[in-house]
Amino acid sequence: MKKKAIHYLNQFFGQVGGEDMADYEPAMHDGALGCSNIFNAVSKNVEITNTLICGDNFMASHADEAVERCLKLLEGKEFDIFIAGPAFNAGRYGNACGLVCKAVSEKFNVPVISSMNVENPGVELFKKDLYIFKGGARATTMKADMTAMATFADKIASGERLLPAAMEGYFGRGIRHQVYLEDLGMEPVPACDRAVDMLLAKLAGKEFETELPIPTPDLIPIAPAIKDITKIKIALVTSGGIVPVGNPDRIESCSATRWGKYDISKMAALESGVFKTIHAGYDPEQGDKNPNVVVPLDAMRALQNEGLLGEVDDYFYSTVGTGTTQGEAARMGREIAEVLHQRGVEGVILTAT
Amino acid sequence: MKLEIGNFVVKDVAFGAKTGFADGIFTVNKEEALAEVMKDEHITEAELHIVKPGDEVRLVPVKDALEIRCRVSGAPGNHPGVTSDLCSAATGRVHSLTGASLLVVGKHWGSFQDGLIDMGGPFQRATLYGFLKNIVLVADTDEEFERHEQQKKNHALRWAGMRLAEFLGKTLASLTPDSIDVYELDAVNRRDAAVSGLPSVVYVMQPQTQMEAMGYNTLVYGWDGNHMLPTYMHPNEILGGAVVSGSFMPCSSKMSTYEFQTNPTIKRLMKEHGKTLNFLGVIMSNLNVIMEQKVRSAIMVAQIANNLGADGAIVAEEGYGNPDVDYIQVIVELEKAGVKTVGISNECTGRDGKSQPLVALDPRADALVSTGNVSELVHLAPMKTVLGELESLRRDGLSGGWDGCVNPDGSCLLEDNAVFCADHPSGYSVKRCFEF
Repeated sequence: MKKKAIHYLNQFFGQVGGEDMADYEPAMHDGALGCSNIFNAVSKNVEITNTLICGDNFMASHADEAVERCLKLLEGKEFDIFIAGPAFNAGRYGNACGLVCKAVSEKFNVPVISSMNVENPGVELFKKDLYIFKGGARATTMKADMTAMATFADKIASGERLLPAAMEGYFGRGIRHQVYLEDLGMEPVPACDRAVDMLLAKLAGKEFETELPIPTPDLIPIAPAIKDITKIKIALVTSGGIVPVGNPDRIESCSATRWGKYDISKMAALESGVFKTIHAGYDPEQGDKNPNVVVPLDAMRALQNEGLLGEVDDYFYSTVGTGTTQGEAARMGREIAEVLHQRGVEGVILTAT
Repeated sequence: MKLEIGNFVVKDVAFGAKTGFADGIFTVNKEEALAEVMKDEHITEAELHIVKPGDEVRLVPVKDALEIRCRVSGAPGNHPGVTSDLCSAATGRVHSLTGASLLVVGKHWGSFQDGLIDMGGPFQRATLYGFLKNIVLVADTDEEFERHEQQKKNHALRWAGMRLAEFLGKTLASLTPDSIDVYELDAVNRRDAAVSGLPSVVYVMQPQTQMEAMGYNTLVYGWDGNHMLPTYMHPNEILGGAVVSGSFMPCSSKMSTYEFQTNPTIKRLMKEHGKTLNFLGVIMSNLNVIMEQKVRSAIMVAQIANNLGADGAIVAEEGYGNPDVDYIQVIVELEKAGVKTVGISNECTGRDGKSQPLVALDPRADALVSTGNVSELVHLAPMKTVLGELESLRRDGLSGGWDGCVNPDGSCLLEDNAVFCADHPSGYSVKRCFEF
């Protein structure tokens, strides 16, 4: 008997309508539809029995609610594999496929497969969470992209050995396992020969492929030194999770996606009971007792009084660093930097924990 | 310097009346061999076995592997400074059994650096020794001071192995080898223009030397590698027996004494010498525990490579985790010095494969050969015969074993870590990590 799959599509590929229907709310449909049929024609072991459709705008503007409603619609449905897209180079669609697949994998513990173009921002955001096949930029590659997903779903369904990401054609998920070369149908070349051959290529300026790629660190050049610290405005920024009690911006205690900015213009120090930490990655006792150990406003004011500092910005800026992805941290950093620029801030003291 | 290694290709190994090699068959007189082993009063009991590829035999805890060989000329013994008087190991003639090894197994007690070998079944291929004809010494000692220690010097057993390999090997001394490999390099400043015009390459070895107490680390001419600065050596010295494997490394990362004596990376570089590259020689480095020591060794390696005029280098690390810092540091220093470098090491990506593969990373390490994942889980079915004691895997702190990893029926679950020399950073590894 064939295994069952459910296929997530946006309003366009779900044949609901174009951009005018992008606010279409999540809905489950029986049977295959449009591109699902390509999948069903290819796959020997898996059949798409339902489509789950949601408008790209609705997903983008109500992400939490939209994902929750998608999960609700899947409850009670029988399915062994979940397919989303292909999203090509459509950013909102890629993000939607990633969000839904990740949530489905976590809740239903089934394999989740999507396809996106390398330029789709969804790849960087979700490649660790799901199989994202390397797809085309436009819908003209629909048949090839659907076929790639169907072939892989077939392999999963039949329990066939799954090959490394590069051989299967999906973006690596950051998972590395050892494999005997002969098991991949490769010649079992011993490490000594692989090393000498790689060195000869490297020496000759020829192309070679490292077996252990080192991610290039995203290093930001250090800004030039501040010439006179008594003449500029300095802001306090923290990943230590200090927020007004009540956490008005609902910043997450872990894996943060939000940040907040809080008025300190009239304060000599951060008062306990007014501010606290919501950071889940360290013991909050000292930070709650004296928030200045995380955001040193008291010390800044003291230096200001001694004339050693110019101005302290009227706001401090806060998020949580623990479990926060590099991508989210970089986005929040850019957003905060934009505000700092607008406010004429020229220096920042960034406190971590 | 010229070293000749005369090969005696072993078709079979058997016990018999007279120890010796004839018609491809190596025969061992068990009693004589055991008498040699028992000459050390610290060996309390000993037994010999023969295991061959495909045999349903599991060996654990394996302490070391050695080539069965002898010195015909050039040095007084197989391991100058360790089992014989000091003398250069770089010249002369060695006679050795090819396709065979001597394995030393603890009768009961294991230690961190000991490992497991399956001679048959699906995990025969997990280690080179599954494909060799092995004479196996299973023995116990009176070394009470370390009986229940996780870190053991394994002195009596390791030395018994060296003595026995030489005792057996001596029967080859007056015979004519099936073939002779000649290893010869001229002094680096006296090479033909045709050779010196080729890209110049050094091989940097980082044997495990991180134990601060003496008696555990790799020995270089009998000298503890923890107490040395990187030095320049002739490849023949390594092949000629100057290096003896230590007793302080997670086992799959180990380079056994056999793997120093037969080092396949050196052999390939010697083969390429004069054809595609100019092999300058070996820089014998070490692995350290303090950052300053790591940096000092890396600077010394790069300095030697630079002064020798190296264009390229291959670096091999015996270990993982903390010594990854030494590994990457050496690669970075070499690259900074303009030496194009390739590294050989295993990875530690965790049982789920999601951990950072090396403790230290640097984008300048852009050409790495991977030899396996130490934390890959291995399920082993029960094996008909176990030589040694399977319990040691669970009880004695072997690098990839833990309490509960051995089942009453003899099946077990372990990490790749516990498979003897399985990641073969010496160059024998036929596996690697891939991203999924």
